[in-house]
Amino acid sequence: MTAVRPGTQSAARAGMRPGLRTALYGLVGVAVLLLIAELIGQFGLLGTTWPPLTSVFAFLADPANHTLLGNALSTTVTEAAVGGLIGIAAGVGFALLASLVPVLAPGLDRFAAVIDAVPAVALAPFLILILGREGTPVLVVALSTTFIIYISMSSGLATAARPYHDLLAVLGARRGTRLRLVDVPAALPKLFDGLALAAPAMILGATIGEWFGARRGLGVLFISAMQNYRIDLLWAAAVLSVLCSLVLYGAAVVAQRAIARRFA
Amino acid sequence: MPSRDIALLDVAKTYPLKRGAALAALDGISLDIANGEFVALLGPSGCGKSTVLRIVAGLEEPTSGSVSVGGASPQALSRAHRLGVAFQEHSLLPWLTVRQNIALPYSVAGRKIDGAHIQDLIELVGLVGFEDARPKQLSGGMRQRASIARALVLEPEVLLLDEPFGALDAVTRRRMNRELGRIWAELRITTLLVTHDVDEAVLLADRVVVMTGRPGRVRHIEDIDLPLREHSELTRTPEFHDIVDRLTGLLDATKDA
Repeated sequence: MTAVRPGTQSAARAGMRPGLRTALYGLVGVAVLLLIAELIGQFGLLGTTWPPLTSVFAFLADPANHTLLGNALSTTVTEAAVGGLIGIAAGVGFALLASLVPVLAPGLDRFAAVIDAVPAVALAPFLILILGREGTPVLVVALSTTFIIYISMSSGLATAARPYHDLLAVLGARRGTRLRLVDVPAALPKLFDGLALAAPAMILGATIGEWFGARRGLGVLFISAMQNYRIDLLWAAAVLSVLCSLVLYGAAVVAQRAIARRFA
Repeated sequence: MPSRDIALLDVAKTYPLKRGAALAALDGISLDIANGEFVALLGPSGCGKSTVLRIVAGLEEPTSGSVSVGGASPQALSRAHRLGVAFQEHSLLPWLTVRQNIALPYSVAGRKIDGAHIQDLIELVGLVGFEDARPKQLSGGMRQRASIARALVLEPEVLLLDEPFGALDAVTRRRMNRELGRIWAELRITTLLVTHDVDEAVLLADRVVVMTGRPGRVRHIEDIDLPLREHSELTRTPEFHDIVDRLTGLLDATKDA
């Protein structure tokens, strides 16, 4: 992105919109990367575990594989969605609680940081005890989402400028009224920043959560494809999870821009 | 309507600085504003006149001395939703339209929004046609007018105006002054206006209080007997210019005081 900036002025002079120019650079960059990956695979430059991309896409396109991939994908996406919604609700809830009851804020901050600092792998036995193997992916997603959303919502709730607080004070607003009318709307751009960060983390969290013994999902496909040396399957699963992350991220960024235009 | 006089008695305000030092912002301010009176507080920048307004609004506590509004604390007035303030920064919420911003005090007070009354105010401040515009689509003068309409919407018993036209060019400022004079002549609410513009103070107020530089003290109080709010053409008379010249002189002299 940053490497593109110096060119934007000359692009404007050449009569091309800077946004279009950036998009073009992006597309060219992706195409070059894909081409390099394909060539490495075709010539076996990095050994047999790096297949040509065309064979991965052929594997993805083959109807015979659709049931297997589709089941895994829908399982992972469902886990990511359920865990994500729980995490968003919990993160926003805790941030509002910390704002309404300031005494709790330092404790909640530290608790969130501790939970986030402990790797999911270390928590795995504990998580499996609580929710079992099938519930663990949802919990891993919920934990990482809660942290990101809590941090972004908390910092968002602190963004409303002093004059707005003065205004609400002279209008005779209680703490809760000010939160509802000023602090929460002012926090929305940062909350959606957090959502854009959390979206890829949801897919990642679900996949990692599945490594702790789940029966279905993209994470399970990763493990069994590795153990059985199914290189095409492994890469197909990887491509699917990347595409999912990108779609979620893209949707979150579009929403974020719309919110920022309206509320900032 | 209950009597809403403002009484400041020997009010001082100091701000603690590093290493035990203190900044004296106000010193011995005593001022009584009668019910339904329009008082302008005039002073050089940084003399603490905005601090006086923030103390009357209940946003800051005086270090010593007392302040009462209608015999009670300033906070009691704002808790009763009977205080209207237009700040130096218009502080309109950027995600609300003009109409929604003017309706905000109803939401805060938990009262039903009176759409007809809001429309009357929008007409009063001359924002017809911009009801659904957002603040960033408005000019500086329109934002200030919306902010004044918001300050008036709950029919406050006390109105505080902190340099409401500070960011405007001279021509727009004079027009806004005349409009505010016309609006005020209809409502006659106890009003405290903070400004550094002598013409503005003399044009609008019943009494002009001139403050000294920091720490702010009351230097002079001038009664304005000209019916300027209703007859703004009187600003061309020698009487008006005499008062303005004299008060400007007092402002200047504060540098030596």
